[in-house]
Amino acid sequence: MNADPTGTRSPHLDLGNLIAGAAGQPIDDRAREHLAGCEHCQREANRWNLVADGVRGLAAAAAETAQPGRPRRTRRRVLAGPWRRVMLVAGSAAAALALLVGLGEVTGYVHVHLSGPGTGTALTAVTGCSQIQLADGTLEQVNGSSLVIKAASGQPVTVTTTATTFVSMSGPLLGDITDGASVMVRGSTSGGTIEAAIVTVGQPFSAVNPPGFVPVQGTVSDASTAGFTLVTSSGTRIPVTTSGSTLVVIPHASLGQLQAGATIFAVGHAGPDGTLSARAVAAVLQLRSGLLHIGISMKVKDCSPRSIEEALGAISTAPVSGG
Amino acid sequence: MNDPHQGVGAPTFTASHDPARDDAGLLRRIGQGDEDAMAAFYRAHGRVVFAQVLLVVGERVLAEEIVQDTMLAVWRGAGSFRGESSVRSWVIAIARRQTRDRLRGQRLRVVDDAFLADQPGSDPGPEVMALDRAELAEVRGAIRELASAHREVLGLAFGSGLSLPEVAGVLEIPVGTVKSRLTAARTALSRILDKKGQNR
Repeated sequence: MNADPTGTRSPHLDLGNLIAGAAGQPIDDRAREHLAGCEHCQREANRWNLVADGVRGLAAAAAETAQPGRPRRTRRRVLAGPWRRVMLVAGSAAAALALLVGLGEVTGYVHVHLSGPGTGTALTAVTGCSQIQLADGTLEQVNGSSLVIKAASGQPVTVTTTATTFVSMSGPLLGDITDGASVMVRGSTSGGTIEAAIVTVGQPFSAVNPPGFVPVQGTVSDASTAGFTLVTSSGTRIPVTTSGSTLVVIPHASLGQLQAGATIFAVGHAGPDGTLSARAVAAVLQLRSGLLHIGISMKVKDCSPRSIEEALGAISTAPVSGG
Repeated sequence: MNDPHQGVGAPTFTASHDPARDDAGLLRRIGQGDEDAMAAFYRAHGRVVFAQVLLVVGERVLAEEIVQDTMLAVWRGAGSFRGESSVRSWVIAIARRQTRDRLRGQRLRVVDDAFLADQPGSDPGPEVMALDRAELAEVRGAIRELASAHREVLGLAFGSGLSLPEVAGVLEIPVGTVKSRLTAARTALSRILDKKGQNR
């Protein structure tokens, strides 16, 4: 896979793939498959990931406190005319956006912060898009195209959906891993077997991409309660083990699949009667409210559907990717 | 299953840079004197440029000045963008030239690291093992102690969203040299971590 300077061919991934992987850039399927089964390359990938995480952490720390639009010159210089106005406008915008930056801010804008007990407020603002609100609570029931959730305060909130509302579901849903299903597996590898941390069922979801795992895509075969065989596009068969701690993410779920008791995060437009017209809904079974009360602040880049879906997708993998 | 190198505390999630943003269109508008476009450009790239410059120069006030000078150069030279590279790599290249001009006389430490490229050892040495043992906070601290040329290439590769060919374009060196410089940077980082580990 790697032509080294001596002209011999190394069986391991070349540096370009390792660096691209650490940089969050795509690597080809062949390299991905190799990585899934090669402990040597996984160790190398982890080292590069650590270096990359360090760089991104420094960048985020720099940017979080940066107000580069505010001139603090050590030498005299007068900016005049249009440029001065531009810098003032840009500086104000930069200051306003400074808090939207999270780890890896250089490539991202979606930022979800889970913390201690919630405030009990039924609807909370989403930073980055003043038009939308977030509702979170426990799913009480599904009435057709509407959900009734109970906020931490005990207040019921009706969440309405339409055909275009993005609905995702996550949790210990091993039963949804069935033969023939297209899946993306993320986990650690030992002896050629993947111990699955996250299994995404169905259409891959770009937002479900926590660092530290090697993603491998394929089709499920021989599904059982203990795991399955992942068949990649090249026909490679990789044993995958699952357990109660394996998180299954279904990025495109239906309302009918949602289970009462699930923790629901919904974002959308607040109605005058306290309802929420949802643009996206995430049912997070691994955060059942009876076990864990959480508060959440969500920051998005903008009001685009993609930005909002990515934020909800990030919530879906909360405990695994959150450490 | 748990990644010991993940940050502790509140989880943070990020998504990719918006590919739909029309950077080239912004530059065209900037070239026509559109101040709103300049502000949008600043929002889109200012923080990344600032983080990269700060990583190299290590001084916040100076980094802010360089970013301002960079944006001024963008304002004045937007019309010269020919689309031969990504806008991100173009503006970072401008920032790099601004940085170099400011640091003229403080020549970046040159590292003869080509030999290290693409030749990972089959057995990890003690320095690599120091990296295996390191915590993320230690790595961040060690990165600050690297030579500026190493900080620069690490920042471009992992903090700027640039591909390896784009990094090579910014640095005006071949892709192979980028790889060797990254390898040398990691080796230097491992040495710092190893030394710190021995001193603990």
